[in-house]
Amino acid sequence: MAIVKLDKVGKSYGNGAVMAVQDVNIIIEDGEFMVLLGPSGCGKSTTLRMIAGLESITEGELSIDGERMNAVPAKNRDIAMVFQSYALYPHMTVRDNLGFGLKRRQADKALVKKRVDEVAASIGLTEYLDRKPHALSGGQRQRVALGRAIVRDPKVFLFDEPLSNLDAALRVSTRAELVRLHQELQATMIYVTHDQVEAMTMGDRVCIMSHGKVAQIGKPMDVYLNPASTFVASFLGNPPMNLMPATASETGIETGTGRIAGTGFAPGTKVTLGLRPEDLRPTDNAAEAVVSGRVVSLESLGAETLVHVEAGNDKPVILRGGRETPARLDDTIHLTCDPDMARFFDPETGLAIPTNTFTGDKK
Amino acid sequence: MSAASQSPRISASGLRMAALLLFIVIYTAYSAGPFVWVASMSLRTTTEIAANPYALPWPWHFDKFASAWLDSNYDTYFFNSVSIVLSAVALLTIIGGMAAHCFARYRFRFKGVVYFLIFSTIIFPPQVTVIGLFQIMVDYGLYNSRIGLVLVYVSIQLPVTIYILEAFFARIPKDLFEAARIDGYSEWAIFWKISLPVALPAISTTVILNTILLWNEFLYAVVLITEDDKRTLPLGVLRFLGDQLEDVGMIATGLMIAIVPVVLIYVFFSERLIQGMTAGAVK
Repeated sequence: MAIVKLDKVGKSYGNGAVMAVQDVNIIIEDGEFMVLLGPSGCGKSTTLRMIAGLESITEGELSIDGERMNAVPAKNRDIAMVFQSYALYPHMTVRDNLGFGLKRRQADKALVKKRVDEVAASIGLTEYLDRKPHALSGGQRQRVALGRAIVRDPKVFLFDEPLSNLDAALRVSTRAELVRLHQELQATMIYVTHDQVEAMTMGDRVCIMSHGKVAQIGKPMDVYLNPASTFVASFLGNPPMNLMPATASETGIETGTGRIAGTGFAPGTKVTLGLRPEDLRPTDNAAEAVVSGRVVSLESLGAETLVHVEAGNDKPVILRGGRETPARLDDTIHLTCDPDMARFFDPETGLAIPTNTFTGDKK
Repeated sequence: MSAASQSPRISASGLRMAALLLFIVIYTAYSAGPFVWVASMSLRTTTEIAANPYALPWPWHFDKFASAWLDSNYDTYFFNSVSIVLSAVALLTIIGGMAAHCFARYRFRFKGVVYFLIFSTIIFPPQVTVIGLFQIMVDYGLYNSRIGLVLVYVSIQLPVTIYILEAFFARIPKDLFEAARIDGYSEWAIFWKISLPVALPAISTTVILNTILLWNEFLYAVVLITEDDKRTLPLGVLRFLGDQLEDVGMIATGLMIAIVPVVLIYVFFSERLIQGMTAGAVK
């Protein structure tokens, strides 16, 4: 177990011509499960690889338990990593794969065997110990990769999108397995993914990255409810937060097709209004509508229905309704919400405006 | 039912199959014919061959093999060939493997230049380089030396060996090497414990290919080795070539002694050879 600290860490290529990661400041606490989340090319894997020692750090400082790690080779960092491709050694049996790293550190073969047997039993691999990776299913390979990390009892576990090659059902069960493992080992874990469901369900905290920078760090629900920018708002959530231009008036925030009654902004102030699809609800009273428009699309997902409403913005406003929705295609619909759930962003910078700036009128 | 429909007819696919079989029979006769002829002559005496070159061997003179092996120094030639080829192939596999590993895995300055320099040597025909090589071997005291011939063999086969292995190493996912680094292994250990075992199909290919090519090599051997007790098998036939007389029967027997190991290697390992050459070609 260990504290991992990244202090203004950056990575550039071509003598600084391309900045893949810049100014990353993260402190991952002892025993914490930190998820690095972001779209492809945001720098999350590069950050993980710098922690692993597989990429050099061109700026800033990385420390594990207070010890500077920038120049320490990967093999001496006492970390274990699970790769997206699993990276199992194809010419070795499961037993040899599990024990490969341990043999390097532990000369006593009997102890290596004992430890491998223990870990294999704990993750249900005992009967596969003499098989080679090609004779295993995807899920079993994933477990071997996991076991290879566990067997060494490292200070820090690193995961680089380890579930992305699994089918949907296996991904759900392995997700639960990883959470159980974290609770059992109480180890520091850093997990890279582009899948927000994994981030929301597994992480103690989530670090969302964009264009090589940290966009926001926080507990999953905090980040979801209070995104720090329009990027985070539109990246987290499926469908994402509805973002629309709005203007403050004497009595509230005007969206063009409705308004949120309240005070706080100087009249005439331009803002970007953010509303989660599940916070909107239909209303018959046009006077209390935040947004009004024509239903242009209905997506029935079984448990819920997504209603796309054309309200004069670049993108339709999406309402997450129940299984049965009264909305019909081409109907005009009025949508309202709890003013406390409205989020505001600076249209210029995209950064969140503190929620206490605006006080909505209670209905 | 009409009479025409009852008569036997050859389908188009049957005709195609017959044509293919005919082609295979002709091609097999064309390629195996000389080998069968030499094999037949190896069991006949020169007098019998002179009387009728294409007759079948009868009686079978198996004693000619014992005579070649014991009286004509073929045992020495055979063990020379074995020691020279095995040494050269071992060195080629290790040096070629290391070089290929570096070319496939690392980025370093002048990589392209080094690669070009190694491969530029294969564009020169051996006849062009052999004279210069002869002088170099004399200057370094390696003329008429088995070690000298091993070094030459390593140098002439190295580019192709690197080429085959590099193509294979480049396809090994880099995650494997990174996992081994995190598992605590040095670059040297990763080469021995990961690269080489994973690349075994390609290694087998180069071992078999180099063994066959060097076993049969004649030009460099005939130029660089003149002492009888250092000759390799392909040079053994020279023993039966006189100025006035050629002992054709014994030449055939000597050739068979030289050819049989290669044929055996091919028969038993051809599948692995093809696997290595085509690995990754089809996903």
